[in-house]
Amino acid sequence: MTGSETPVVLIVEDEPDVAETYNLWLADDYEVRMAGSGDEGLAELDDEVDVVLLDRMMPGLSGDEVLERIRERGLDCRVAMVTAVEPDFDILEMGFDAYLCKPIRSQQLHETVENLLDRSAYDDLLQEYYSLVEKQATLEATKSSAELADNEEYLELRERVEELESELSDTLGGIDNDEDFIATLRGLGDVEE
Amino acid sequence: MYDLTDVLDFEALESVRPGSNILVSGPAMSGKEDLAMSMLADGAEHGQGSLIVTTGDRAENVLEDFLERAPDADESTVSVVDCRGDGSRRGEATATGSYVYHVSSPGDLTGIGIGITECLEYLHNNGAESGRFALTSLSTMLTYTDRKTVFKFCHVLSSRFDSAGYLGLFTIDSSAHDDQTLQVIKQAFDGMIEIREDEGRREARVLGLAGQPTEWQEF
Repeated sequence: MTGSETPVVLIVEDEPDVAETYNLWLADDYEVRMAGSGDEGLAELDDEVDVVLLDRMMPGLSGDEVLERIRERGLDCRVAMVTAVEPDFDILEMGFDAYLCKPIRSQQLHETVENLLDRSAYDDLLQEYYSLVEKQATLEATKSSAELADNEEYLELRERVEELESELSDTLGGIDNDEDFIATLRGLGDVEE
Repeated sequence: MYDLTDVLDFEALESVRPGSNILVSGPAMSGKEDLAMSMLADGAEHGQGSLIVTTGDRAENVLEDFLERAPDADESTVSVVDCRGDGSRRGEATATGSYVYHVSSPGDLTGIGIGITECLEYLHNNGAESGRFALTSLSTMLTYTDRKTVFKFCHVLSSRFDSAGYLGLFTIDSSAHDDQTLQVIKQAFDGMIEIREDEGRREARVLGLAGQPTEWQEF
């Protein structure tokens, strides 16, 4: 997710009425793109897309296959799978970030999208936090404590690191949800700046 | 609050806030893992849950060793994630009621996360409302993945334990990594217990948990 711009949500759904309903619910808050099939969905995907709502059962390319392609392409977007069946505990093993059971209500859809955006924000912050920690560690490993105490850059760095620390704990306020926890861990290895 | 002073007598360890993550750092063979396990066993004897992630020893050995340290522990609130599994991810209760989850490698962070999730649920269902967590060791993880990933892994875990109210202990072999790596990893923790050996005497000090670093003290 990139700062202040309106987040982009891509709806991949083969039933036009359902897709339009989601669009009506979300259009006020997000930039919505729509795709009527898995292939169209892949064509609409680029770096701008923050959240994908992916119907699992579609003719042609299935939701599972689309998800696999998204992960292969290494895109930094969150995927909510939309299913008609209640999934079991084993959903934690699968590569999506959230699931929604049909039929979906407006509030539930909003909450899911909001939650996935928060999680992306956490990833971005963690990314920035790490790169500053790395810089700080380089300085601490190469300079004496007297030199550090006088070094403007180092002092600013430490201040920013502390700021980010509290921002990070505010973002998710502690990961108390199993799905969030697994999805965040899953993202750790793949995302490079 | 968690009181660790029965194991290591420092004022700074008298009331450690739930959700704290502590790095236990020392050179090879200095008793880091022993210390972390003793702290878990102490909690288990007081009815707290115990969750151990092992990157080196087999789950059976870890369990056996742990129950020797904590003979009065309720076995149904002891769980182990063994990262040296056979390629699959699977969890099951043992004959005596503990829970073991197998992950294929210390580099499979998602698998370890699923294991931790299942263990936490198991412990919770068996009545453990608080608990202690130990990961031995980060040094092994660092041979499977880079320090950036390990740093972020520790941060995400710490966020999870914060919500669960658990106390986290992570050991690292300070003689196996360069200064910069240790500096980076340290930043992911609320505090550190540092261990050193001096002429056959083991000493420890506590940094970052309450006020100034403590003096070195024999243990």
